[in-house]
Amino acid sequence: MSRRVALVAAAALPCGKWQTPADAALQVLEHEVLASLVADAVAEAGIDRRDIGSLAFAQCRPYTLQKYFATFMAHYLRLPCTGTVSETLGNGMTAGLAFERAVDDILLGRAKVALALGVNFETATSAAEHMMSSMRATGDVDFQVPFGFTPIAWYAMDAARYMHEYGVSREAIASVAVKNRRHASLNPLAQFRKLITMEDVLAQPMIVEPLGLFEVPPRSDGAVCLVLAEEEVARATGRPYALIRGRGFYHEGAHQISEVPNDMTALAAAQRSGQAAYAAAGVGPSDIDFAEVYAPCTIVEVLVSEALGLMPRGRGAHGAAESETSLGGRIPICTSGGLQSRGHPAYVTPFYTFVEVLEQLQGRAGERQVRDARLALTSAELGNYNAALVHVLEAVR
Amino acid sequence: MTIEVLSRPGRRPYPPRVTATTAPFWEGLLEGRFQTTRCDDCGRFSFPPKVICPHCWSRRILWHELSGNGRLYSSTTIHAAPASFRQEAPYRVAIVDLEEGVRLATRLLGGGPATLDSPVRLVALSYDDGPLFAARPDGGCIASVGLAPRPG
Repeated sequence: MSRRVALVAAAALPCGKWQTPADAALQVLEHEVLASLVADAVAEAGIDRRDIGSLAFAQCRPYTLQKYFATFMAHYLRLPCTGTVSETLGNGMTAGLAFERAVDDILLGRAKVALALGVNFETATSAAEHMMSSMRATGDVDFQVPFGFTPIAWYAMDAARYMHEYGVSREAIASVAVKNRRHASLNPLAQFRKLITMEDVLAQPMIVEPLGLFEVPPRSDGAVCLVLAEEEVARATGRPYALIRGRGFYHEGAHQISEVPNDMTALAAAQRSGQAAYAAAGVGPSDIDFAEVYAPCTIVEVLVSEALGLMPRGRGAHGAAESETSLGGRIPICTSGGLQSRGHPAYVTPFYTFVEVLEQLQGRAGERQVRDARLALTSAELGNYNAALVHVLEAVR
Repeated sequence: MTIEVLSRPGRRPYPPRVTATTAPFWEGLLEGRFQTTRCDDCGRFSFPPKVICPHCWSRRILWHELSGNGRLYSSTTIHAAPASFRQEAPYRVAIVDLEEGVRLATRLLGGGPATLDSPVRLVALSYDDGPLFAARPDGGCIASVGLAPRPG
């Protein structure tokens, strides 16, 4: 039988504003924050640090001055490795791909234990300046950027199209923000924990119509270290762990839009990668106990919940409005508070997804614990879900 | 000439780079032509203009002029803008499906309601430093200050 990989431990910085201005006398620096998390996560895992064979980093933001961050960290941690030491970049999917890099080294027998880790510090740079870079990551520099498209403008156009085709109200979509804030209020790692009402959401300034401030992701700093191991190593620790049961990936060969008209709100890549992950795990959408999806804006959670088969097409927003996707509902989605409220340190956001899934599957999520959580679904994406990476994880206790 | 050319004062906020491949596209705009590449083997369009056909990877590429007529697939108004576009905010952008079956993204002019699936027409914009293009509701007149038909 081929090897199986388990997620055994995690340590994370609460999402928020951590990065210090360049001229601050006392700096908060990426490598110090991350080194501390590595020590915490490895201690919690109960594994021997000499078993760590690979370090799979999410690449840092360009604002991180320490370059070749992965090799610098191998030095800082004094951690010789026989697998790989690498940095991965893939837009919003960055940490999902770094997670896979760690998993793959274990599957290939290159490492018994691998760390997937990274730090995303960006909040000392203003949103208007940051978008000068991010707009070039989410659009054609010569044929889209000159018109002023922003990363989330594409999601806003998803919302406009979805409302037009399915007759769904902005309020129904906005209910996702209220639901996610309720979840975040129970999550110590969340950036925004004060409860909000629908009136609060609708009273916010417009960012990109029809999405206001509470329906789009905040700017966030964050850092995470995940410990992955061969299942035998995980079992030997005697502690509960999350087994990776299935994985699916699909890139539709398009960036935002292609010249071939399609159904933009169907999120074909999420459909395809979801089907592959379900098939690999031998389960279906109805077997899933909760989902932690990559959804920068409220509308994206609606669309991806439909693409992954968790909600019927055209009903995703109603799922939040009618508490179907809330804690205690039929299929809780984004129990962490999601990207709007938990926070969105983009290059490490999918790591936070796995942090939440691990806490839930280990039964350590406290007040936001999903009862009898056994099977979890995750997604990561880039562009306008032009590519998606989906995992199914199972609790082993 | 199939699309209207409107003159706009000032410089483009974020000018596109021009290559030997894409130069005919940008130059054509100033002459009122909206053209893109079409594969001489499989017959399918590509946009933006490409050096190979993305559908069949043929190198036999020809220019083809499009009508500029299409429908509004989706649209949004951007309020929080990147630094280069701050002066223009709020502004509208759109995804347009042209009648030849080509989808593209662009600016949406005019201040009226952006009704999805309604007809739009592409226009060329002639700035002091070069061309861009945009869409506007079909049949509608442009009331915005600073937009006038280009003389000559």
